[in-house]
Amino acid sequence: MSSIPSYATHKPETSCRCSAYLDWLQMLTGACLILFMLMHLLFVGSAIISPSLMNGLSKVFEWTGMAQIGGPVIFFLLLLHFVLAARKIPFASKQQGIMIANARRMHHLDTWLWVIQAVSGMVILVMGSIHLWTVLTNLPITAQKNAMRLQDSRAWIGFYIVFIPMVWLHTGIGFYRIMVKWGIVGIDGRPGLRKKDALIAATAMVIGFMTLWRFVFLSIN
Amino acid sequence: MARMLTFNIFRYNPQDSASFPHMQEFRLEETESMTLFIALNRLREEQDHSLQFDFCCRAAICGACAMVVNGRPGLACHTKTKDFPDKITLMPLPVFKLVGDLSVDTGTWFRGMAKKIESWCHTKKVFDPNAQEERMDNALAERIYELDRCVECGCCVAACGTALMRDDFLGATALNRIARFILDPRDERTEKDYFDIIGTDEGVFGCMGLFGCQDVCPKRLPLQEVLGKLRLKMAFAAANNLLPKFLRREVRL
Ligand code: SF4
Ligand code: SF4
Ligand code: FES
Repeated sequence: MSSIPSYATHKPETSCRCSAYLDWLQMLTGACLILFMLMHLLFVGSAIISPSLMNGLSKVFEWTGMAQIGGPVIFFLLLLHFVLAARKIPFASKQQGIMIANARRMHHLDTWLWVIQAVSGMVILVMGSIHLWTVLTNLPITAQKNAMRLQDSRAWIGFYIVFIPMVWLHTGIGFYRIMVKWGIVGIDGRPGLRKKDALIAATAMVIGFMTLWRFVFLSIN
Repeated sequence: MARMLTFNIFRYNPQDSASFPHMQEFRLEETESMTLFIALNRLREEQDHSLQFDFCCRAAICGACAMVVNGRPGLACHTKTKDFPDKITLMPLPVFKLVGDLSVDTGTWFRGMAKKIESWCHTKKVFDPNAQEERMDNALAERIYELDRCVECGCCVAACGTALMRDDFLGATALNRIARFILDPRDERTEKDYFDIIGTDEGVFGCMGLFGCQDVCPKRLPLQEVLGKLRLKMAFAAANNLLPKFLRREVRL
């Protein structure tokens, strides 16, 4: 029940700081990914205003090497964040059941949000990998290429219809979780934060879908 | 018109080999200002003498009467029936050992917890019965008292998804207790001593920030804030020796 072992562990009685470091890393990788997602939103969202604006930005990323280096770095962060967070997600279905049963019994929003977080996290791991792989193996990113990919196959449209909400649910809840878990927002601030956070995530989702819409109907020539 | 309340109550007596866990329905007419304490006592007196549940102070002070009311842990003596629909389901607290029906043994759990986190002032000073007691700043005394209000009811543990999944997790009440000793200048434990107790995945880093604890604590302890600050404090305690000087922080509770 505690950190003090009640049996011989063959380990010297010194404190291990690993839990603390891993928690730091989980939070920091999450925060980096949130920042990245916001910039990513501005980048692809620029296509709503003008596809050539997006292409111009894309060129800058390409010239500065941000796409070639930053892309794989984000991929690595995604994997690292997943592994770190997965330590907290029960692998045994019995324990998963306990979590869901508790959320249901208590009608407890925050426990439900955790369940969403765990599920969307796993979906993002798979879909995010596919998305990153597809985009990064076909640099530079241009609005026309995106449009072509989407217009060629309905499956890709379906893919993003699932992927976009998953990303923003996870990002939104993740931000909220960092703020409350690390004591940045106090007890009274929690409902307000939840509302503001939901608003931002919803806005991001809408912009995401508008971009998708734009690409689907963009004339390629 | 008084409402007719329907109670669905968990029944099981582990002492009796013929008993098996099941739900039993009771009906009772609501009276004014009825609490679950009143309702359960009337059910036991008027309908079923074998019904087991715990009460002591009936004023939210002793923490004995915690149970799960329509899914949420709370103190029965502190819960008015008028705040609920006319169907009320009562279950014993999870995590703790079942004594029978709604009665659980929180005492053993809390005693074990207190031993593990060494829930007492650690001091090398020899007690001098003739000396005047040392003064404490009033504001500080009040802050300690605020955290000391915990009545050990166990609601926060029963509401915590992490504690339900992992029986080695310390729980909000234990972390809150440590925070209370960190604040107390009479306790001479160092930050490292505290880190050894709670700086692990069984302690503050195991907490996933679901705040079931905060949302059910009948004494409205500031658990969310305590847990947040403890996490920050322990995280910096671990990271400070890696960080450049200007980033180091000594977090105060
Ligand atoms: S905030 Fe931490 S201690 Fe409180 S219910 Fe959640 S996981 Fe448990
Ligand atoms: S912290 Fe609150 S819920 Fe937990 S044992 Fe103490 S009084 Fe009960
Ligand atoms: S009877 Fe003491 S807290 Fe309810």
